Amino acid sequence: MSVNLKLSPTAKVIAEREAEHFLNDVNGVTAVVIATVDGFDIASAMRAGDAARIAAMASSISAISSVVSQEAGLGRNKSVTIDTESGFAMVYSVHREDAELVINVIADGSAILGQVAYRIAQFARMLAEA
Amino acid sequence: MNEYKILFTGTMGAGKTTAIGAVSETPPIVTDVVNNDQSHTKERTTVGLDFGQFTLDNGDRIRMFGTPGQSRFDFLWKILSKNALGMIILTDNSRPDPLADLRVYLEGFADDLDIMPCAIGIGRLDAHPSPSMDDYIEELARHNRVLPVLQVDVRQRDDVILLIDTLLAQLEAGMFGE
Repeated sequence: MSVNLKLSPTAKVIAEREAEHFLNDVNGVTAVVIATVDGFDIASAMRAGDAARIAAMASSISAISSVVSQEAGLGRNKSVTIDTESGFAMVYSVHREDAELVINVIADGSAILGQVAYRIAQFARMLAEA
Repeated sequence: MNEYKILFTGTMGAGKTTAIGAVSETPPIVTDVVNNDQSHTKERTTVGLDFGQFTLDNGDRIRMFGTPGQSRFDFLWKILSKNALGMIILTDNSRPDPLADLRVYLEGFADDLDIMPCAIGIGRLDAHPSPSMDDYIEELARHNRVLPVLQVDVRQRDDVILLIDTLLAQLEAGMFGE
């Protein structure tokens, strides 16, 4: 199965580089996966796990949250955070002209939610403008 | 008044979203996005769930849930099939190997198929006569399943209702105990 993605090569390079930086710079982050809205991973940096599987789940979460925000009349969806006993997962939507993307970050209990939220928003803005 | 849940599943492009939209009384909830998968020419594809509902003559309500087709979303299949009354598997006969497509769902939903009624709807059979209805029945027999197989056009409301009626008839016939 091949993926026909119109994403600019520059954006892909930035996605790859920033995923790596995110993983190394932010304490507690275990995986950073950038995916298309239909669930294909296009860039990732991770300590363990399966990027393809995270990408599929991130796209589902993002699609469901986008329906919820439409139904509730709350405007375009931005992010979803799943807070768990031992960490959290954060899914952030990136709206670009050539491709709609989703950034997914998995973090363990040592990560600081606000720090990841700040960094992921920065990443999303960078990817949207790349 | 009873409320029932019916699951629509099947291969990408088989028409799950269309089928639900064809019979839903309320605007269906759809989570389709741009498709980047080159193995399929579809422009958009479901990645979350579809949802629609309608009322039967006796006042009972049917809630219809559609799954994403691709098996990379199988984690959602389990969630969406929970407490379903029955399942409709849609296939697309214009695909390269529709029987292999069917196998994915027979295997992916094997546990559910043991306890709930199921009907198979074959789309685009007119233009693509192979595999035939008999081929489908033989494929089901290889999986030790005896399930109704119907030729459908999911854009036609009556065809989708017929699939749902086929599920309900199996329940009324007492083929699946409460």
